[in-house]
Amino acid sequence: MINIENLSYSYPDGTLALDSISLNILKGEFVTIAGKNGCGKSTLLRHINGLLQPGQGSVVVKGMDTCDLSNLQDIRRTAGMIFQDPQSQFIGMTVEEDIAFGPENLGLSSSEINRRVTEALESVGMSGHRHNTPRTLSGGQKQKVALASVLAMEPEIILFDEVTSMLDFSSRSDILDLIKQLHKTGTTIIYVTHLLEELVHADRLVLMEKGRVVQNGCPREIISKISSEDFGFDFPPIIELSKKLLDARIIDETSFPLSKDELLEAICPSK
Amino acid sequence: MNDLFLSFIPGKSLLHRLDPRTKIIGLMVISICILNVSSLETMALVGLVFSTLVFICRLPVIHFIKSVRPMIPFFSLIFLMQFFFTEGTPILDLNLVSGTYEGLLLGGIVTLKFVFLILFAALITATTSPSGLTTGIEKLLRPLPLRYFGISSHDIAMMMSLSLYFVPMLYDNFKDLKDAQLSRGLDARKEPVKAIMSLVVPLVRMSLRSVDEVALAMESRCYTGQGRSSMHVLNFKNMDYGLFVLFILLVSCLVF
Repeated sequence: MINIENLSYSYPDGTLALDSISLNILKGEFVTIAGKNGCGKSTLLRHINGLLQPGQGSVVVKGMDTCDLSNLQDIRRTAGMIFQDPQSQFIGMTVEEDIAFGPENLGLSSSEINRRVTEALESVGMSGHRHNTPRTLSGGQKQKVALASVLAMEPEIILFDEVTSMLDFSSRSDILDLIKQLHKTGTTIIYVTHLLEELVHADRLVLMEKGRVVQNGCPREIISKISSEDFGFDFPPIIELSKKLLDARIIDETSFPLSKDELLEAICPSK
Repeated sequence: MNDLFLSFIPGKSLLHRLDPRTKIIGLMVISICILNVSSLETMALVGLVFSTLVFICRLPVIHFIKSVRPMIPFFSLIFLMQFFFTEGTPILDLNLVSGTYEGLLLGGIVTLKFVFLILFAALITATTSPSGLTTGIEKLLRPLPLRYFGISSHDIAMMMSLSLYFVPMLYDNFKDLKDAQLSRGLDARKEPVKAIMSLVVPLVRMSLRSVDEVALAMESRCYTGQGRSSMHVLNFKNMDYGLFVLFILLVSCLVF
């Protein structure tokens, strides 16, 4: 679905943001990209969405090279992107208009735009806010509207750029539940985060450091091996406890618990 | 900050159902009529038309008070200029200048003209969604030969739409900045220049960053400025045609 070959990119001031990254992402996969601030996670996502063009190497999304500018519309239609700050991505004065912005850019008919807006609002549970001003919504609701505005374009891939970092625990759970539902329906998910407790549902974890991919594989195995000091993460208590259990050889790497339920299952297996 | 001035109030009233183009042309016609009013009696008639429309559409009166409130210093200035600098029978003597009865009447009429211009604009924006408004403007501008100037009616409509979007955002940013600076001990009375600079500089920086972010969000959602469609299909109905006849009659009365 996405093939990234030897991708390097430097910002205009000369800072190297991505350094020889190669990555393949399959259709329907849930890939989490994690790493410290400034490690290049968001820059990588912007390359997949075609907002940035590679300085070196290539990014091919569903057979379309992002270097070919004539592909950009189709690439952005295929890979929708949701940004960290929901406020900064609103364009419409009402929720309905904001969601309609993408389908309008695709030149769809009025009835098709209305259908997509209605369905997108229903899928994120925001139908009751159709005529509200986005600015008056809570952080979690704003992020749901941002998700609906991407869903209305019916993308096959959705790129999430630290979408929960500005949300409280309850709103974060709501957004993660929606993302899990989308993944179940076959949407390819690429999820950037620095919160390790959000990795539990990913099929694959890509760890980045200083613009390079340093780990790429099963989240369970990677987290069981790395130390918090290596990547500047603060491990959640569940993972800290799991690591102690692993050190004490009570559990092994293949069953390394990443969530409360998995930890309970590891300690007291249900029959 | 639920309802900033000139914001849209969703509804299904008579005015809500009208084609945005009819409302835009209607606003132009009524503005011309208001600017031609020269007596308090006719101004009262304009007030009656406005109140009837607000009542029919069941719009909250507070929305219109909020629309006018930011302009009160401007209205006051206009009124005082007319009151003190119009020749006539003096009714208030302040040594250097004196207010006249004729100035009082003229000041009242001129100020009310501006008040009603704002109120009717607020009535149109309250009953027309921003997207409907921009689509209406785009369609009205389409016959003009704008391409000779390197722009299209769509460009103008999008600029208007984004301006409408940025006004409340700038206001929010300004409020946040003001609170942040006050909480850090800023005293605008003691150091007014410093206070203005401490608000203006970060506000400009925040605005530029917001523009960048919105441009990125637009690009990521396939915006190219070409080949766009609209969720709103504009169709003139019988009511619109009836109003056009009324507009023509009103303008004819003014001209002849």
